[in-house]
Amino acid sequence: MSDRRERRFALLLFAPALLALIVTTTAPLVYLAWTSLMRIDLSMPFLSGFAGTDNYAKMGGDPRFWNSLGLTVVYTATTVVLQVALGLSLALMVLRIPRGQAALRIAAILPIVLAPVVVGLFWRTLVLAPDVGLVDVVTRALGLGSHNWLGDPRLALISVIAIHTWQWTPFAFLVLLASLSSLPPDVFEAARIDRASAWQRFRHITLPLIRPAIVIVVIMRTMIALSAFAAIFAATGGGPGTATEILNLYAYRTSFTELNLGYGASLAIVLLAITLGVSYVMFRVRTKRVVA
Amino acid sequence: MSATGDAASDAGRVSMRGIVKRHGALTVLHGIDLDIEPGEFFALLGPSGSGKTTTLRILAGLESLSGGRVLLDGRDVTDREPGERDVAMVFQSYALYPHMTVFDNIAFPLRMVATPATGIDRAVREAAALVHIDHLLSRRPGQLSGGQQQRTALARAIVRKPRLFLLDEPLSNLDAKLRLETRVELRKLQRALGVTTVYVTHDQEEAMTIADRVAVFMEGRIAQIGRPQDIFAKPSSAVVAAFLGSPPMNLLPAEVRAGTLRVAGVDLRVDRALGADGNVTLGVRPAALRIAPAGMPARVYLIEDLGDTTIVDLDVAGHIVKLRTEARPNVREGDNVHVAFASHACHLFERDSGARRGD
Amino acid sequence: MLLVAVAALLLVVWAFPVIWALLTSFKTERDVLAYPPTVIFEPTLANYRDVLFGSASILPNLLSSTIVAGASTSLTLLFAVPAAYALARLDLPAKRASGFYVLATQMLPPVGLIIPYYLVLQKVGALDTYTGLIVIYLTFSLPFAIWLMVSYFEDIPREMEEAALLDRAGRLRALWYVILPQVRGGIAVTTIFVFLNAWNEFLFAVVIGGNRVRPVTVAMFNFISVEQTLWAKLAAGAMLAMAPVILLGLIAQRHIVKGLTVGAVKGAAR
Repeated sequence: MSDRRERRFALLLFAPALLALIVTTTAPLVYLAWTSLMRIDLSMPFLSGFAGTDNYAKMGGDPRFWNSLGLTVVYTATTVVLQVALGLSLALMVLRIPRGQAALRIAAILPIVLAPVVVGLFWRTLVLAPDVGLVDVVTRALGLGSHNWLGDPRLALISVIAIHTWQWTPFAFLVLLASLSSLPPDVFEAARIDRASAWQRFRHITLPLIRPAIVIVVIMRTMIALSAFAAIFAATGGGPGTATEILNLYAYRTSFTELNLGYGASLAIVLLAITLGVSYVMFRVRTKRVVA
Repeated sequence: MSATGDAASDAGRVSMRGIVKRHGALTVLHGIDLDIEPGEFFALLGPSGSGKTTTLRILAGLESLSGGRVLLDGRDVTDREPGERDVAMVFQSYALYPHMTVFDNIAFPLRMVATPATGIDRAVREAAALVHIDHLLSRRPGQLSGGQQQRTALARAIVRKPRLFLLDEPLSNLDAKLRLETRVELRKLQRALGVTTVYVTHDQEEAMTIADRVAVFMEGRIAQIGRPQDIFAKPSSAVVAAFLGSPPMNLLPAEVRAGTLRVAGVDLRVDRALGADGNVTLGVRPAALRIAPAGMPARVYLIEDLGDTTIVDLDVAGHIVKLRTEARPNVREGDNVHVAFASHACHLFERDSGARRGD
Repeated sequence: MLLVAVAALLLVVWAFPVIWALLTSFKTERDVLAYPPTVIFEPTLANYRDVLFGSASILPNLLSSTIVAGASTSLTLLFAVPAAYALARLDLPAKRASGFYVLATQMLPPVGLIIPYYLVLQKVGALDTYTGLIVIYLTFSLPFAIWLMVSYFEDIPREMEEAALLDRAGRLRALWYVILPQVRGGIAVTTIFVFLNAWNEFLFAVVIGGNRVRPVTVAMFNFISVEQTLWAKLAAGAMLAMAPVILLGLIAQRHIVKGLTVGAVKGAAR
């Protein structure tokens, strides 16, 4: 029976977390917005002061900003698509070998539990280093020569995408495997009796049934990709130059390497706006389809 | 009611006055009035969605009401918390605590009021023995069969010696045979304990056989209250009549005109007061119909041979009518026959309102 | 069969780096740079000795990580479990708005938060302190923990509280004696995830931490700039730094997989 006592009890239980959330997320956000309207230059303190929308105006004409925005889009889209495609394909294949699944689950866990910064470092040294890194060893053996995977601007972006995909595909794999395993077999048997081919069964039965899981994976991985930091930072630092400087990293470097916190804050606000916008669109797509 | 010498048997008088429950724009209960005597086994009977479970939950204090009052032993408990009403409930799903043993499940209500440990032990074993699960006390609910889980839920309710038992379709999760056996045991248990019991069910046979009195719920209202045999003999409306009995009462559209009853295209002379001219619904129980030389014309549609009884489905002027007999009738499917009934065995209801007409 | 080959390839691709790092950590630096890479070699514990007891020992960093991750995990659960219960099972005023708020706070990019954190903590003098770091770790732990626990609470049949209330337990005791024991598994999974995320956190640690508070993730990062090509030592350091989470992952892998999929599939069903 819902009454005053229950509501009071509920508030009592919820209040500490609510307070903590406001203090650690909402209040800082307000402060961030305020900071973005300031000019805070820790290297030249005498120039600090209120700057209004200067920072945002500057952004429009800042080529480095547009570069970072483009990189963010490419990075996010590519890694998410790869993760889902690879994860799904692998899950479908693994479905039919139930005995291998236990070992695979352990193998899949490993990339996920590692700290992204360590993963970045690891790839930078043991995997992608010229001459002695794993990849170079393989390409040399195959006669494709040695390359500077992280130092070459053209290859750096591909490399960091590979790193992120390597680490997080297992997540998509595990979730989709669980989703596929939970599908009722009789629907497929009915389809086979109805003479549907394997591809038709996949397209018309499997895919729609696991759609909710795919959507959730896409949403979660997109959020992570937008705010990916440590791995890229460890592997390339955003470089060479600005070749892997996604918006995230640009904001960081501006704030803490170049000590221009006001501008950095405005960049962060833009990133936040993008994140919120993307998540809003995704949730709308999700609920819209579910209702239909 | 035989008293067991327990103080609880004098308590447990329930009174519900004008209970209204709204769910947003939807009115679930339209004003329920009930009086239940101490020690009574009272059934709330009705189809799904008729409001009987909601009424029970309001009595338990688990659901709020939009209007009306609930009184227990003369005291207004409408605003009291469930834990303050001294009421025990057996849920349809039993709601056993899965992480506790059977013993701890039964002991839980006693522990919550700081009963001393020796008292708890004795009371739990007593309650368990009453429902024959005293050998299962160290098991967990997950290790019990459906019937055993149900008894555990019962024991948990009994152990508190509450002044009111509430049972929400406690037998619906059991298979048919177990249901029949448990039904009888429940009734005997209640008689032995003498505790007022309110029992919700959609199974009219169940309500009819075990309850002292029944309240028939239809669409959020009480259609009739009374002893099972009285309701059965004199249903107050066509809807109630159609709900009771197995197979249920046959209902046919008819007309009262100038002292005769016109039904299925023939005029029947019925030796009872028919009331004013007008459209009516005629109700006859399957057991009251018989194949006769004269009566309503019918064609045999289907014969269901149940072993000791036979049910004959007949097409009477486009309506399927069921007849029940213990003798095997000498007809075949497709035969044209006549069906008749004794004058006192028919019920008349107003066609539009469904209300009972006459005595 | 083709499928087995693919599965084996997967195993290699995903597990290999950790195994390779493990092997490397026992090599001498010269063996590391050998080409073709050696699989048979003379193992040495020198790297581990250096990393643990040498001049740039990571022992204080391990301690730092333990304190920060342990304390923030405990704090998170302390706040999250009751909040999730209120959200999932009680008539919380403005429940929909509150739930949405919790969800929204998960969307914030961390880089957007460290800027104000840095400025505020600097003013308050809480930079490079345990308290400062532990509190701001709540940012990403709390919403996630609440969201996970809500799905576990929702799994319990509604009648549990009702039965307990009728048994005169009252709401608090109903939560403690009846509900919480049933979400023990969920609490374990949530603890694992929160601890994992806290242990592996880098951005907050590197900006807000300093000389006193330096978790292993930051120490590892510094490694690469200081000890440019001492990869064997780096591998040893990384293995030690990641040992807790790898162990946790191996031991609790069923829990982790369940947690990942529960969160995802449940979220999908909502």
